[in-house]
Amino acid sequence: MRLLLEPEPVADLDVLHAHAVAAHASGLDGVMLRQARSLPAPLIAAAALASRVGDLLLAVEVELGERHPFELAEEVAVVDLASAGRLILVARPAPTAQDDYAEALDLLRTALTARPFRFEGTRWRVPANLPENEFGLEHEVRLMPPPAQVRLEVWGTGAGREAALQRGLGHLADADADPIELGGAHDRAAAALGPAAIGAPRARRETLTDPDGLVHRLRDGRTAFGQDWAVVAGGPDDAVVLGTRVRPRVQLHRLNPALEALWEGEKE
Amino acid sequence: MTANDQTSAVLDRIGLGLWTMRSMALGPRNRIADYRAFSEDALLAERLGFRSIWTAEHRIWYDGWCPAPLHALAMVAGATTRLRLGTAVLLASQHDPRWLARSAAVLDRLSGGRLDLGIGLGHRDVEFDTFGLRRDRRGRRMDEALEVMPAVWAGGHGDEPLSPGPQIWMGGMAPRALERAAVGGYNVLLPQTLRPDDIRRCLDTLHAHPGWQGTVGTMRDLWIEPDPARAREMRAALKRGFTEEAGWWVLKGKPAWEAPEALERQMLRVTDSALIGSADEVADGLRALLEAGVEFLCLRINLDISTHAELREQVHRVAEDLPPRLADAMAPLGVAG
Repeated sequence: MRLLLEPEPVADLDVLHAHAVAAHASGLDGVMLRQARSLPAPLIAAAALASRVGDLLLAVEVELGERHPFELAEEVAVVDLASAGRLILVARPAPTAQDDYAEALDLLRTALTARPFRFEGTRWRVPANLPENEFGLEHEVRLMPPPAQVRLEVWGTGAGREAALQRGLGHLADADADPIELGGAHDRAAAALGPAAIGAPRARRETLTDPDGLVHRLRDGRTAFGQDWAVVAGGPDDAVVLGTRVRPRVQLHRLNPALEALWEGEKE
Repeated sequence: MTANDQTSAVLDRIGLGLWTMRSMALGPRNRIADYRAFSEDALLAERLGFRSIWTAEHRIWYDGWCPAPLHALAMVAGATTRLRLGTAVLLASQHDPRWLARSAAVLDRLSGGRLDLGIGLGHRDVEFDTFGLRRDRRGRRMDEALEVMPAVWAGGHGDEPLSPGPQIWMGGMAPRALERAAVGGYNVLLPQTLRPDDIRRCLDTLHAHPGWQGTVGTMRDLWIEPDPARAREMRAALKRGFTEEAGWWVLKGKPAWEAPEALERQMLRVTDSALIGSADEVADGLRALLEAGVEFLCLRINLDISTHAELREQVHRVAEDLPPRLADAMAPLGVAG
């Protein structure tokens, strides 16, 4: 199980940095920064964190569908380079443009390859080849520079679940998602995609009110829908609990009961 | 005034540019290393006392010119504490102004108000065309951006007011650009090819607006090289390197690649205006710009044609050689915005 620590989305580098340092110190895989009114450009915050803390994965959740996906793809490529290939992009359908989400996802992912391309969608055509533009127009364009990663992870979340699963992408479920229902959705996608569905991350947002409760929840999530990532809302202190009490207990299918008993004894 | 005070007074008027993270045929680079080097160069500039470091923006080109300069600067913001972070220029008319404003606000907020947002129109049709925009409407797009961005910063469009708004620098020398700056109360960043007389004319246009109180800066291509033979080589390399960029321009109604004579004349303007030579020669050239009324210098020492070691040596040279030679020319200027 991979664990990401998710701070409150604030535009305060010292606060975000403290979370990242704590996540790193506790052996977590990374941090998650999500777009909010209080942090409308989380990719900017991820780039700033990238130069302060190495090694950590930087997951960034943004709205997709409203702004031009090629513009977003350029920002993603630059932040991935600035972090030496540590970016994960989580895309939530923009409330104002839900119908354009799937097309935006396709354009974004096409742009993130290393190929010149032409994209003919219903909302976006790239390049547009407008008659008013005269000079040096191209039939195909390429996003330059490409991201550092060969295949940058793009996950769907929120109402973007079906679009993400149909494409064999990772999916981040909300905390209140029904694990059995989620399992059914993943099974249907796997049946439709066949081996192409192998490897897609299955994540869920979690909270850390009770460490033992979270351990059980993650084990249940693994059984019910193959959960292999958890995005845990919390502060720097929570990173310690996640690293010392939660993570060791959810790494493997099961542990030797004697080891579990040893850890139980040490809790007192 | 001690020598130290002199040095900081001069370097506080100088920004270093332009980091574009290009990997050109003339000098291929590893991209990840190049972004890391940008952070390290910025840290060096900060330690030496420069006011700012500047990026530029283009897209869809073989060399990977950074298309998201605010995001590259955000990386630098995390590595530095005092250095100002500039775009010279960001192509505002190619972006969605609400999202541009949000990125700028978060960067300005995270960096403690260190963003110098230099904006310009952009000129390559293919860049506009990629976004489904008409190049001939770029002026209208700029006006829209100048309306929407401050509204976002003030908490309009459903946004939280995160930053009072960064310092805005209007790039360019066209009457319309100067008019926009004067009316909007923005600073001005003039292009690198202007002669002192051209600069005076631009300043006259700006000062024709009695309320305008912005700062005027200018770009200038610069390389301190005391050996005349090596200086000549550097000038030739600059011309060669710049030809790739200038080939995009539309000169006399067609792309410069198809108008070799016009391109050659343009290249001569660029290389003639570049200050390449001994520290005394370079300082004299800058002094003429300061005497014409320029208050801030954005010195383009990163022309993507030098090795990283040469570039860092040049950063040191500028920091050591220019302050003693420009202290008297910088002293009467007061405090820039």
